[in-house]
Amino acid sequence: MLGEVAALSPNVHFIGAFDPKIRTFDIIMKTANGSSYNSYLVRGSEGVAVMDTVKREFSDAFFRRLERLCSYDEIRYIVLHHLEPDHSGALVELMARAPKAKLIISGRAVMMLKGLVKQDIPYEVAATGKKISLGDRTIEFLSTPFLHWPETMSSYLHEEKILFSGDVFGSHYYDERLFDDCVGDFSYAFKYYYDHIMRPFKQHVLQALKLYRKFEIDIIAPLHGPVLRSNPAYYIEKYALWSSEAKFRKTEFGQKMLSVFYMSSYDNTHRMAERITEGADAVEGIVASMYDLASLETANMIDLLEESDAVVIGSPTINGDAVKPAWDLLACMAYLESGGKIGAAFGSYGWTGEAPEMLMERMRWLKFRLPVAPLKIKLIPTESELMDCEAFGREIAEITMGKMVEMEL
Amino acid sequence: MAYVTFKDDNIRVKVSPGTTMRQVADKCGSSIPFGCRVGDCATCIVHVESGMLYLSEKSEKELKVLEMLGGDVSGLRLICQCQVRCEEGEIVISQGV
Repeated sequence: MLGEVAALSPNVHFIGAFDPKIRTFDIIMKTANGSSYNSYLVRGSEGVAVMDTVKREFSDAFFRRLERLCSYDEIRYIVLHHLEPDHSGALVELMARAPKAKLIISGRAVMMLKGLVKQDIPYEVAATGKKISLGDRTIEFLSTPFLHWPETMSSYLHEEKILFSGDVFGSHYYDERLFDDCVGDFSYAFKYYYDHIMRPFKQHVLQALKLYRKFEIDIIAPLHGPVLRSNPAYYIEKYALWSSEAKFRKTEFGQKMLSVFYMSSYDNTHRMAERITEGADAVEGIVASMYDLASLETANMIDLLEESDAVVIGSPTINGDAVKPAWDLLACMAYLESGGKIGAAFGSYGWTGEAPEMLMERMRWLKFRLPVAPLKIKLIPTESELMDCEAFGREIAEITMGKMVEMEL
Repeated sequence: MAYVTFKDDNIRVKVSPGTTMRQVADKCGSSIPFGCRVGDCATCIVHVESGMLYLSEKSEKELKVLEMLGGDVSGLRLICQCQVRCEEGEIVISQGV
């Protein structure tokens, strides 16, 4: 059964679909009560714009809601703010039903569109500043890439002061009462969504917020979960705070963080870690700290990694591999901004010793900067080898502080 | 030899002509982010602060993708789509486009 078609304003309606059964989203996220695929219909004096579609399996509900509000011939524009299949699933069918509609996507979406629909469909590209008119209604586009795919964008409906934010400000939270002032307490889902979807793109979030702040916003219409109309500024401030807090120590104390994460079975890698930390900590501006991976929870790994300007990982080599907690640590990078962190690896070994190289290779793909070769010591380190560890830590710290690295390929 | 400086990473690399910038960025451990690596997604877009003439010319594909982003794209490149073409010269790259 299809409920009422909810109105955001007299000219803007929700035509999305509810999915109360979904429990795992995009492999990485859980939701205890489902989610929604939000789509909106904007009516102007000269036609209609459809803002995004839904997951393909939910097309029926989407088309039925849409049909209550307009005929397909009235649709002049279809806007896709984000091409992920949960929002583009009904696109091909909608374009077939609405032949007069023009598809609007971002420049980065062009090749993605081809990959998704596997056919040529006409489109028009939008970037910041582009506007479309529906007569008495004007929609302005805002380039907000990497939130959370390269092609994402947002738009603003001037006359109603509605921001269509894409996945930004979304929640995987099912509640057909739809509006933030009517639904249950979804604040945990709002934060959880941010942590899993937006946290890896904090700098892009801050760029998007700069664009959003140029507009007076009465309603935020995201692609999942509640429509935010009670106090949009509250949600914007939350995003601003969460996206800025990783730099807290840097901005407050002017320090750069170097973290040495290690595991050790016979204390050898541990002793290396201590001297690397000492060497690094002696460099002005660096605060070096060490953490035993055997006792570090995942959530704490994520927080520490985020704050660290340099990440130095120590692992012995066991059966030709680095130890599992070291891989677990690096798996946490999926939740964080990649790029720009300095990485390095070290370890004591008894036999083959490839663990540090393997960790470095993984860090390379995770977009760490890897300016120094791995440091390996056969079994028990001598005092002279421990001095090398200090120099290794110092070198990484100096590079973290901006020392120029010269190299030849 | 030609030199490529990744300003945000404090890395200066000596390279031989013909080297692709993708190789340079990958091997020196720069923080240039890559997406598709074939010139579709514009994730690896950078600003060439100087030395544009030491890089290969923009292909039609690269031009098309850059132009889709809008604005002045004359100083921009996709790292995955260009290579060093000169024996001598200084190329300075910055991010944050």
